[in-house]
Amino acid sequence: MDFTFTEDQLAFREAISRFLMTEAPPEMLREIWDTDDGRSPELRSKMAAQGLTALSVPEALGGLGMDDVAWALMTQELGYYAIADSMADTAYVATGLLSALPEATPRRDEMLSKIAEGDARFAVGHPVNPLVADVHLADVILLEHNGEIHSVRRESIGFERNPSIDSSRRLSRITFSPSDETRIVDAAQGQAIWNQTLNRGALAVAGQSIGLAQRMLDLSIDYVVQRKQFGKPIGSFQAVKHHLAQVAEKIEFAKPVLYRAAHALAQGEANVDLHVSHAKLACCEAAWLAARHGIQVHGAMGYTWEVDLQMFMKRAWALDSSWGDRAFHKSRVATAVLADGAPIGPQFTFGE
Amino acid sequence: MKLTFSPEDEAFRGEVAGWLRDNLVGEFEVLRYRGGPGDEHMFPEERKRWEQKLAEGGWTCVGWPQQYGGRGASIEQQVIFFEEYARAGAPGRVGHIGEGLAGPTLIAFGSEEQKQSYLPGIVAGTELWCQGYSEPSAGSDLANVRTKATQDTASGKWLINGQKVWTSLAHESDWCFVIARTDPDSQAHRGLGFFLVSMHQPGVTVRPIEQLTGTSEFNEVFFDDAVAADIVGEPGDGWKVAMGLLGFERGVSTLGQQMQFQNELDEIIRIAKANGAATEPSIRQRIAEAHTGLRLMRYNAMRMLSDNGSSEPDSSSLVYKLHWSSWHRNLGALAMDVLGPEAEIIESAPYNLTRLQSMFLFTRSDTIYGGTNQIQRNIIAERGLGMPKEPKGR
Repeated sequence: MDFTFTEDQLAFREAISRFLMTEAPPEMLREIWDTDDGRSPELRSKMAAQGLTALSVPEALGGLGMDDVAWALMTQELGYYAIADSMADTAYVATGLLSALPEATPRRDEMLSKIAEGDARFAVGHPVNPLVADVHLADVILLEHNGEIHSVRRESIGFERNPSIDSSRRLSRITFSPSDETRIVDAAQGQAIWNQTLNRGALAVAGQSIGLAQRMLDLSIDYVVQRKQFGKPIGSFQAVKHHLAQVAEKIEFAKPVLYRAAHALAQGEANVDLHVSHAKLACCEAAWLAARHGIQVHGAMGYTWEVDLQMFMKRAWALDSSWGDRAFHKSRVATAVLADGAPIGPQFTFGE
Repeated sequence: MKLTFSPEDEAFRGEVAGWLRDNLVGEFEVLRYRGGPGDEHMFPEERKRWEQKLAEGGWTCVGWPQQYGGRGASIEQQVIFFEEYARAGAPGRVGHIGEGLAGPTLIAFGSEEQKQSYLPGIVAGTELWCQGYSEPSAGSDLANVRTKATQDTASGKWLINGQKVWTSLAHESDWCFVIARTDPDSQAHRGLGFFLVSMHQPGVTVRPIEQLTGTSEFNEVFFDDAVAADIVGEPGDGWKVAMGLLGFERGVSTLGQQMQFQNELDEIIRIAKANGAATEPSIRQRIAEAHTGLRLMRYNAMRMLSDNGSSEPDSSSLVYKLHWSSWHRNLGALAMDVLGPEAEIIESAPYNLTRLQSMFLFTRSDTIYGGTNQIQRNIIAERGLGMPKEPKGR
């Protein structure tokens, strides 16, 4: 039994965190988000140079070969610094999907190598999401059709952009014509890969939500320490303190769920759906509470455009229902727990 | 206990509903369900004309005494008016601060001359008011006012210097009522004055604050030797007058607010039925909770008003803000969950939100403005339950 991370994993996280702290400050993100494309090629290539896009590409294809457990740390950093969807979608979700393809699949290795080199943007269209993130700049879009996996280039599909409440998001509704040429995997093999992809997308959101929650907590602590009312810092009032202590409690009780789910996904455990849905629910709940209590302790300042809190709140709210909303994940938990012969009871609960 | 309205009241209801049906048309059609909290920046010119249209029909200041231009309507009739107004989807009132706050304060505390001078413009819907209370250092600690009022020895006029913030509709207003420190050596709620200040003078600068909705309903207001036209009460009475005014904020208009909440809940239920969210057990339960919470609010408001509008706050009014703000915040979250993955899609670029998105974001301020939930709980505990006061740092 070892519920900890390796030194490599932790060192990588630390390096990425330091890098993003200086390279992706809020004022810079605001400028990027204000542009039509909402993305910065410079920031992207710098992140690739740090090894982020190569993180889980197999070593044989030029990657670092790390798994979902490492990503459980990395997605928290992406969330903490509100890095736009394209990075997690390409480097984690699409990479996971491509890695799971049969090795003989045409262009599989080429696509993975390109991702490792940082030269490709991928978008993933799973039917649980009515809109697809970052299609507008994607080189390749991986799409579902009756369980099959299709790989298409942006030029060959129709897409209509739908702006989001979260200024970092670039969402599109897609129309495409599936054909023998676009299909890379049939439904027999595709179904399982799509289910795994859904879990990976949900876990990516879960990790980012924890990062967002932590960022909102840190911003809130900074604020209540310096803001004075009634002659003292408002952080000295119990009602305010308790608001933030409750957020810390939610965050700390969501992290192990995230890690357990990442482990289940990496190991291909049978009940992975249950673990992932639990993680998605716990992490998004932490982010919701961090947003709610964050704005409350910021008072009216938190309601302004100028104060950075809104950037992280809106991202948390938007991600909350992507890759399966709360009802979807609750129902997956209920299905698993209420199934005939479900593995519940002390011998199971404490058997892992 | 009697929960029905008299035949006279029902006739009055018919009159209100009929007038709205006949007049909320044409150029005003566009105003339906617009201009409420979270949407106050919209259609200002149309809403100013609407205010005067209401005045022509005698539908401004319905609860004011007749001698000051009101209708002298009973509590029941005021309730009916606000209910029908909201039921018709009539727009948020640009004149609500004058009618609901400035006017009643003048009626209670102003001199006869002040009443004659200021009330007619409010009744006619031609003069709009804003409220100058909050300051950068006076938020929850409202008494920590730094804005100064000094009396010019030559002219006898009071000059106002300082800054107010979160001032709703300041950019549309003709007048502002301002609390300012008349005694520079005083602290907290002592040594304040209540001033009436014209917004149309060089010493007043209004700067809009951009909200997280991308719109601006409220402002920073800077006073730089601005001349006050009047002081209500004596120098030093400001806190008493200002607090009397806060009592007017919990009035019959709460029933209109509930009708607006009902409109929102109806919209959410309609969407839930259409998109299948209503079949989700967790959503069903939250819709049921929203319904029961709104009924509760209504019963509490009826009880609150049944003491004939006494401005003395009892415990039913102390808990009211806390209840509705928390309820409404949860309604905002419910709306987003009912919409599911579509919830984040805005109406159009660059940042035009849908009605429910604006509602959702605005509900995040409900638990903050007009006394945060934390301040409300302190008030309930200290004033309602007689518990010791929270220690202060001075």
